[in-house]
Amino acid sequence: MEAFTDAKAWKAGNHLLVRAGGYVCALPLGSVRRVVRALPVHALPGARAELRGLAEFAGEPMPVLDLARLVQAPPGALPAQPVTVVVWAGPPDARSMVGLAADAALEMADVSPGTMVGGGGGLVRGEVGIGGEVVRVLDLEALGREP
Amino acid sequence: MSGSGFLLMRRGGSLWGIANSAVAGLERQDGGAYRIAAGAEPALLVADEILGVVPELRVWQSPVTRRFWPEPFRGLSIHGRQPVVVVDPGHPPVALRPQGEDVGETEGRD
Repeated sequence: MEAFTDAKAWKAGNHLLVRAGGYVCALPLGSVRRVVRALPVHALPGARAELRGLAEFAGEPMPVLDLARLVQAPPGALPAQPVTVVVWAGPPDARSMVGLAADAALEMADVSPGTMVGGGGGLVRGEVGIGGEVVRVLDLEALGREP
Repeated sequence: MSGSGFLLMRRGGSLWGIANSAVAGLERQDGGAYRIAAGAEPALLVADEILGVVPELRVWQSPVTRRFWPEPFRGLSIHGRQPVVVVDPGHPPVALRPQGEDVGETEGRD
């Protein structure tokens, strides 16, 4: 899968595929607000490793999470995480904005629940095979829930 | 001493805000840092820099931040395009508490 570089190259789909370390993750499109260059973050002393810090986006504060750590991905080839994917996390009636630091936004893809395997009811809903790769399908509502 | 608004400070590279009405005293130390007495039974807070008082802050809740940062705080805000952690002066996070120093008395700033 090539990194996404041209807006005209987007194909239809219901998920955005992003690379995070050695994994490819699928984010439900309805929860994706924007993909931007990595936002500057301000670290919070004592935060868990998944929380890179706080950032400002569209005049609001938001936490920025390390997506690779979040899904426990092995290290990838682009450790700088040059992209922040701004998403809505939590249930629709109590959603909050969250940044996901990732290595690349790749492409759109259709993911149907019937093709998914595994998943334990947490952040990773399950896995699907797309373009010869195993893709972790994420449930962003779970991010806003207590573990 | 009391006032409206929020006292903004910098500590550990991040911005923090506390209700200005809770601030009982402010003292600059020899090393350049600040000690702030705040809260009902004044707790001592430390800061690297005092930015001043802003009349108001819009505070957002952030359950995701709470999940990954297990410290007490009231919410998040923005000042000058920088995120601000709004804290309860009576229950400051570890990052704002004096550590390994003689905290002594803090003088009022009036």
